[in-house]
Amino acid sequence: MELSGWDAAAVGAKAVTYATTLGAAGAIYFLAYCGELLQEPQRSRIRRLIGILSLTSALATGAKILLMSATISGDLAGMFDMSFAGMILGAGEGLASGVRMAGLALCALAVTSKHRFHALALVGAALASMSFAGVGHVHGLRPSIVPSVLLCLHLLCAAFWLGALVPLLITARDSRPAQIAAVAARFGKLALGVVAVLLCVGLSLLWMLIRDATPFWSSDYGRLMAAKLFMVAALLGIAGVNKLYLTPRLLQGQSKAFVQFRRTVQAEMVAGALILLITATFTTVTGPPR
Amino acid sequence: MFKQAILAAALCSTLLAGPCMAHAKLQSSSPAKDAQLTEPPKTLTLTFSEAAQIGVLKLTASGKDIPIAVDKNAKASASFTFPLPTLAPGSYTVQWTAVAADDGHVTKGSFAFSIKG
Repeated sequence: MELSGWDAAAVGAKAVTYATTLGAAGAIYFLAYCGELLQEPQRSRIRRLIGILSLTSALATGAKILLMSATISGDLAGMFDMSFAGMILGAGEGLASGVRMAGLALCALAVTSKHRFHALALVGAALASMSFAGVGHVHGLRPSIVPSVLLCLHLLCAAFWLGALVPLLITARDSRPAQIAAVAARFGKLALGVVAVLLCVGLSLLWMLIRDATPFWSSDYGRLMAAKLFMVAALLGIAGVNKLYLTPRLLQGQSKAFVQFRRTVQAEMVAGALILLITATFTTVTGPPR
Repeated sequence: MFKQAILAAALCSTLLAGPCMAHAKLQSSSPAKDAQLTEPPKTLTLTFSEAAQIGVLKLTASGKDIPIAVDKNAKASASFTFPLPTLAPGSYTVQWTAVAADDGHVTKGSFAFSIKG
């Protein structure tokens, strides 16, 4: 698999789009189910985070389209060639970007609202999360409706999990021990079901994409998918430590656990970022073998 | 509230169930890859695995570009045919970039052919 500089830049922009969109959406879900456990300063910081991530996602979406235009011609001039941008937008990317922008605009309502969560912001978070399903290799499957719905569920769950990490870190740094413990326990309880759905749906989609196992796993797409699965396993391991070892100790008020909790959340963020980077790569520069 | 959000999400997901999507791969060409022709071809035909739009098409011989008219606003198609000027004997390289119509994914490739003198 050869990657030009423009390909790498487009992959980077896509990864940033993933991270910021899922981050904004996940932070809104976090406020919805944990907001009442937080003090106003933490809620305010998370709302500010949502605003920053929403804006960054919108900018990254635009940058991605420009960089994808540049990959067509292989030079800077391609970035400003409107016919290239038209080709990309006229394909699924136009719909996906439109849905994402609409969702992010609704997410921004959460920034201005002083309530724990805003119903429209939740809808916006869902739209923004699912926007990536507008373009995906699953659409090559027939019928496409089932894998499309599964992909939307996968994205919603990914936003719930990965998008909670920065708010968890904010909570872990700024809140009182009892609050941190309560938030960790509530998130952990909900995450159990969400992660189960995420894995079942993800594995179902993978099963649908694999037509012949040997060519699949020996292809560039298959190797990148294997790398993603490895990182997901690592993320699950860290999450398991949080849920089964650290959270009970947080609830007991053990001071060492609070330091360890911050570190494991940071480790989850690194693993999550790598997962999104790998996903951006195999959804941009390669595809499942036919 | 969460149940309503999930229902709304499920309904919205149906809107995103777009058409078939994959990377457009070059299935065949005329002249074919590594073809050794006895007469210069009058046209260049590219056939892809999916409907696509041609972003870039270059024909070069000894590093020199040979102009080929490409309509970037042409409708997506799985097959494209381009008229060629009269080509002298020699080795030629075709470089192409295609954008899949259903998802905007970009694929690139190249192949060579030669014309015997």
